[in-house]
Amino acid sequence: MDFEFTEDQQSLRDAVHRWVDKGFTFERRHGLAKAGGATRAVYSELAELGLTGLAIDADHGGMGFGAVEAMVVMEELGRGLVNAPYAAGALVAPTLLSGAPDALRSQWLTKIADGSALVVLAHQERRARYRLDRVEAQARRAGDGWIVDGAKSVVPAGDEADAFVVPAVHAGTIGLFLVAKGAEGCGVTGYPTQDGARAAEVKLSATPAALIAEDGLAAMEQAADVGIAAVCAEGVGLMERLVELTAEYMNTRKQFGVPIATFQALRHRMADVKMQLELGRSMSYYASLKLGEPAAARRRALSQAKVQLGRSMRHVGQECVQLHGGIGMTDEYAGSHYFKRLTMLELAFGDTMHHLGEVSARMQDTAGVFA
Amino acid sequence: MDLNFTPEELAFRNEIRSWVADSLPKEISHKVHHALRLSRDDLQGWAKILGKKGWLGYGWPKEFGGPGWDAVHRHLFEEELALAGAPRIVPFGPVMVAPVIMAFGSPEQHKRHLPGIMSGEVWWSQGYSEPGAGSDLASLKTRAERRGDKYIVNGQKTWTTLGQYGDWIFCLVRTSTQGKPQTGISFLLIDMKSPGITVRPIITLDGEHEVNEVFFDNVEVPAENLVGEENKGWTYAKYLLGHERTNIADVNRAKRELERLKRIAKAEGVYDDARFRDQVALLEVDIVALEMMVLRVLSAEGGGKKALDVAGLLKIRGSEIQQRYTELMMLAGGPYTLPFVHEAMEAGWQGDQVAAAYLAPLASTYFNTRKTTIYGGSNEVQRNIVGQTALGS
Repeated sequence: MDFEFTEDQQSLRDAVHRWVDKGFTFERRHGLAKAGGATRAVYSELAELGLTGLAIDADHGGMGFGAVEAMVVMEELGRGLVNAPYAAGALVAPTLLSGAPDALRSQWLTKIADGSALVVLAHQERRARYRLDRVEAQARRAGDGWIVDGAKSVVPAGDEADAFVVPAVHAGTIGLFLVAKGAEGCGVTGYPTQDGARAAEVKLSATPAALIAEDGLAAMEQAADVGIAAVCAEGVGLMERLVELTAEYMNTRKQFGVPIATFQALRHRMADVKMQLELGRSMSYYASLKLGEPAAARRRALSQAKVQLGRSMRHVGQECVQLHGGIGMTDEYAGSHYFKRLTMLELAFGDTMHHLGEVSARMQDTAGVFA
Repeated sequence: MDLNFTPEELAFRNEIRSWVADSLPKEISHKVHHALRLSRDDLQGWAKILGKKGWLGYGWPKEFGGPGWDAVHRHLFEEELALAGAPRIVPFGPVMVAPVIMAFGSPEQHKRHLPGIMSGEVWWSQGYSEPGAGSDLASLKTRAERRGDKYIVNGQKTWTTLGQYGDWIFCLVRTSTQGKPQTGISFLLIDMKSPGITVRPIITLDGEHEVNEVFFDNVEVPAENLVGEENKGWTYAKYLLGHERTNIADVNRAKRELERLKRIAKAEGVYDDARFRDQVALLEVDIVALEMMVLRVLSAEGGGKKALDVAGLLKIRGSEIQQRYTELMMLAGGPYTLPFVHEAMEAGWQGDQVAAAYLAPLASTYFNTRKTTIYGGSNEVQRNIVGQTALGS
């Protein structure tokens, strides 16, 4: 039983923190968002720090770190409101590729580690909502290779990515395929997102693809859980900083001649915000520490964590806007952007109601951290 | 970071588990598992079994005859007792007054009081709240005037839990009206058999006699029963409040009660109703999150690391969760929880049950549990404290 970070983990945190402080100010973020939301340059800076190789083994040029290190990085990126597709490119994609044939895996992991390739999961379909097992895209063999047809939505940094991991059905089984963005029949339409970054619609018509796995649902579930843990940790960082901003504001903003922090109605709301932050932090730890469990226990734990973080992120985001008053509604103030990013994270990899359904369906007779 | 207990801690847990399985009388655990009424003999009988093993004062250091366990071991001990259906240890003696006597009492007070507390022979009560001093405890008015080698105590305490069984009571009393209210309070140990003490029951909304009023009419208390220094009682009381940080969350009992809620929901046919089941699922998430928060505190307490300032959060969340599972149990039972038959809360009652025996106590337990957000520093007072930490002002 130990919830302390090692010195190495602390150094990692400090390194990310320093980069955010110097390289990713709110003014820069705001400017990038106004210019359309491209973040590939920011992603490259994270690669220069070695962070894109965090979860990739040393043989492929990575650092071979685990879930706790990923959590530490995500917390700091959250604090800094960093909207580059780090979790998608550096944490989720390597998990998806881990079961790929050797040559394909080596080729892409090396490029992901050094930041020269951005690979993202393109799984969202119009009728799937949050169900990973509902896939309409189709795959078929063509000679030695494969061809994929389908449409994927809201693909993170889709028009800035180099390749997509695409789930598609072949012979009734969900397989995973790697599609290069420039491949024949691959149409990508990008657009800006609410959090100041970009996403894209990806349409595939008879697009050549490389097979990652013919039976890929389990790998996709595992990758989604890695994504959930990343979302949880980023949410903790975002909430932590937003709560600090809110406390600073409440201590300086005066109404009726006194700082608004003196009003009990607001102090109690702040206490509830603090509660949601700490419950969220507790369940973010839980999420990362349960990633190595067998699938059934892992899925249950990650859904529980996403329910808590979903509630925490929404509560903290909404309340901190309210506690700011009018200024919290403005585009020029950082706080509103924390709120928007928190909101997007609730909708990533399944929202609170979806995961409540998962928890509900997976309940056992016993309960608790060790059940 | 590591979520797992060490092999030594797991072996310790197994040792406790098998000891409890052998030592906890089945008729007592049956009552706890079914929320039936516990008698004085049930509570004190279990206390004495623990006392004989040297575990009633399970939080005590070795120098005072305790096992000297660290925070993780204490947590595991509490967990095993709770899951096995042991009654909550009545805290006033072993958990509340004993640490104060150890820290601030005289060697004579150690010798006189600690053995009886550890053995479970002497039942202690708490004399804090007064009719005019609830959340604002420092405004208490019960006076203790020094006359020679005695204090003369006059006034009234209230909400004295299980005071009807008390042999001794530890009281906060006013010994000075100079300066701030907090600076005129002393910590006094009073023999409840002293002339001039009257204990009157307060019947709560569930029809139970759990709390009391205690009146003091010119009660003579030997001056040697003052703990520490006169007018320093507030400091000692705050020490007491800070002593048990994680226990107040009562997460182990919550896990046991969630299991019971699931059994009741299944038996009543609502466990497969998505609207009901989702509420149970939410509570399950709440309990895992609370347990993780408790474990974080335990981890921070080990090895002298920086303590986590979340005691207020644990009290608020733990009490809300207790209220929620009692509420959901009642809702699971629905209209069959409405009969209010006092005798049906006794184990082995042979009268006609309206529906099923497990339904009889559910509404009463729900009503009784509204106390948890009121006592021990109301949740609103806790929010004042948490807000202060969060705002730094």
